[in-house]
Amino acid sequence: MRGAVLEIDRLTRRFGSVVANDQVSLRVRPGEVVGLLGHNGAGKTTLVSQVVGLLRPGGGSIRVAGADAVADPAAARRRVALQAQAQAPLDGLTPRTAIEIAGRLRGLSRAGARAAARRLAAELDIGEWLDRRATPDGGGLSGGVRRLVAFAMAAVAPVPLVILDEPTNDVDAARRRLLWEAVRRLGDDGAGVLLVTHNVVEAERVVDELVVLDHGRVVASGSPAGLRGTGDRDLQLELALRPDGTDPSEPPAGPPLPVTRRVRAGRRVLLTIGAADAEAAVAWAAALRDSGRVEGYALTPATLEDVYLAVTAGAPAGPAAAPEESR
Amino acid sequence: MRETIATPAPPSRVPPVTPPRTGLWTAYASLLRWTTAQIGAMLPLFVVVQALLAAGVVIGFGLLIPGIDTPAARFLSTGAPTVLLMVIGLVMVPQGVAQARASGTFTYMRSLPVPRPLLLLADLTVWLAVALPGIPVALVVAWLRYGFGYDLDWPVLAAAAALTALTATAVGYAVAVLLPPLLAQLTSQVLVFFVLLFSPITFPASRLPGWFQAVHDVLPFRPAADLLRAGLLSGAYGARWQDLAVLLAWSALGVAISVRALVRRP
Repeated sequence: MRGAVLEIDRLTRRFGSVVANDQVSLRVRPGEVVGLLGHNGAGKTTLVSQVVGLLRPGGGSIRVAGADAVADPAAARRRVALQAQAQAPLDGLTPRTAIEIAGRLRGLSRAGARAAARRLAAELDIGEWLDRRATPDGGGLSGGVRRLVAFAMAAVAPVPLVILDEPTNDVDAARRRLLWEAVRRLGDDGAGVLLVTHNVVEAERVVDELVVLDHGRVVASGSPAGLRGTGDRDLQLELALRPDGTDPSEPPAGPPLPVTRRVRAGRRVLLTIGAADAEAAVAWAAALRDSGRVEGYALTPATLEDVYLAVTAGAPAGPAAAPEESR
Repeated sequence: MRETIATPAPPSRVPPVTPPRTGLWTAYASLLRWTTAQIGAMLPLFVVVQALLAAGVVIGFGLLIPGIDTPAARFLSTGAPTVLLMVIGLVMVPQGVAQARASGTFTYMRSLPVPRPLLLLADLTVWLAVALPGIPVALVVAWLRYGFGYDLDWPVLAAAAALTALTATAVGYAVAVLLPPLLAQLTSQVLVFFVLLFSPITFPASRLPGWFQAVHDVLPFRPAADLLRAGLLSGAYGARWQDLAVLLAWSALGVAISVRALVRRP
C-alpha cells in the first residue's frame, strides 16, 4: 500500500433506496493519472464528495495521502485539491487574484502565490485575461476561461492528490491540449490525479489507469491498452442486425475467427478482433450480408469507447466466452 | 470480471509532502478578500437601497401620523436604523446565501482546505460591513426631514449596532442554510413584513396588546430597537441588560445553526 495518495476501499453510500456508490474500490498512486469514467448519475460526484468531506460514507474507507478522510475530513481536505464540476466562484475577481487567493489558502507565501499565478497563466495561455474582472451572470470572462482558472486554482500549490471533475468543459481545442499537458505535468511533479469525466475519447489519451463506474459499481478497471484488448492493434467489426434480431455471431455458430469481446447494443453487435484476422472477418461479414443474414457491416480500429459501451451496457469487458446480455 | 492485463510498472514518484496547515489569519484574510470581491460589486447598490428604505421609514411612516410631534418623530427616526439592519440581515443575506447554494459556491467553499467556521466568519464580516452604513444613512435622512439633534452614547451605540447587525445576519444565514432556497426566500419576505409592520421598532411597544409585548420580549426586534435608541438618544432612553441578553442568545443561535450547516456531512 506504500505511497498511494488515494485509497478507496469498499466505499458504499446510499441515498434512500438508491445505492450511489456500491463497494467501490480504487487507488491513485503518486505520478499517476486515473480516469474515473461513468455516465450521468453513475456515482462519480458522490464519490468525490466523500473524498473532500462533503458527504459521509455509509461504509468503507477513504485514505488521502495517509489521512483518514472519514474520521478526519479536515486533514484529508488539506491533502487534496478539487476542481469541482460547478464553476468556481470567480465573480468580482480577476483570474490573477483568484489563483493567488487559492495559493494563499494552500499555504503559499504572497510571492509564491504571485509567481504560481504567472506560471499557470503562461502554461494555460490565459495571460490576456489575467487582469480582467469576472462579473456576475457569466460576464467578463467566458466559461472556458473560468474553467481554466478553476483548474489553475486547483493546481496552484503542490498537493498529494488533485481531483478534476470534467475540467475541459467549455474549453477550446487549443487550450484543451495545454490543459491535458498541465495535467500530465502535475503527475510528473509527483501528484496523483483523479480525472472524473464522461468523455471517454479524451480521457483515453491522458490517463494511466481507468476505472469505469456504472450504477455506482466498478464494472471495469485497468490501463486503456489493457481494457481495449490485446493491444493497440485491435479492430472492431460492427454488424447491423436484421429487424428480427437474429445474431449470426452468437456462439456456438459464431464467426470463424477469434473474438476478444462481443457486445450487443440494440440491433448492433460489436466484435473486437485481432488485426491479423481482418481479412477473414471481412470475408465472413460480406458473406453474411450477401446472404441477407445481416443488413451491413463495418470494420474500424477498436477504441476505448467500445469497451466503455460494452461494460456499461451490462456485458462485462471480457473474452468472447463471457455471457452476452442483450438489452 | 476483469481481463488479465499487463499493468504498467507503478510510477515510483514521491508525492508532494502534505502542505502545512495554513495560518488562521492568512486563511481568514484570503477568504475575506474573496467574499469582499463577490459581494463588493453590489455594495453601492446596497447603500442606495438602504437610503431609499430609510426614506421610506422616516418620511413615509411619518405621513401615517397626522401632526407628528418631535418625540414621535424622534422615536420613529431612531427605529429606522434597526429596520435597515434587520432588512439587510433577514432579506439580503438569505438571498445571497440561497444564491451561493444554488450556484455551487457554497459547496465549493466548503471543499477548501480551511476550517469551515472561518467561512462563516468571513461572510459575517463582509455582511456587517455592508449593513452598518445603514445607520448613518438613516440618521442623515431623519435629520434632513425633521432637523432634530441626537444625544449619542458612543459605547452603547457601537455595541448595539454591532450586536444588532450580527444578530440579523446570523439569523438570516441560519434561515438560508436551514430551509430549501425557495422556502428561505419566502420566509425572509414574511419576516420583513413582520419587522416593518408588527414589531415595536418604529412605534412604542405599549401600543401592542400585553401578550404580543411578551412575545416581543423574546424576539430580537424590539430589544435591538431599544438598544440602538438608547445609544442614539441616551438622555431619554436607557439600555437594558435583558435586551442585550436576548440579542446575544439569538446571535449565538444563528451562528450555531450556520456553523453546523457548514461543518456537517449529511
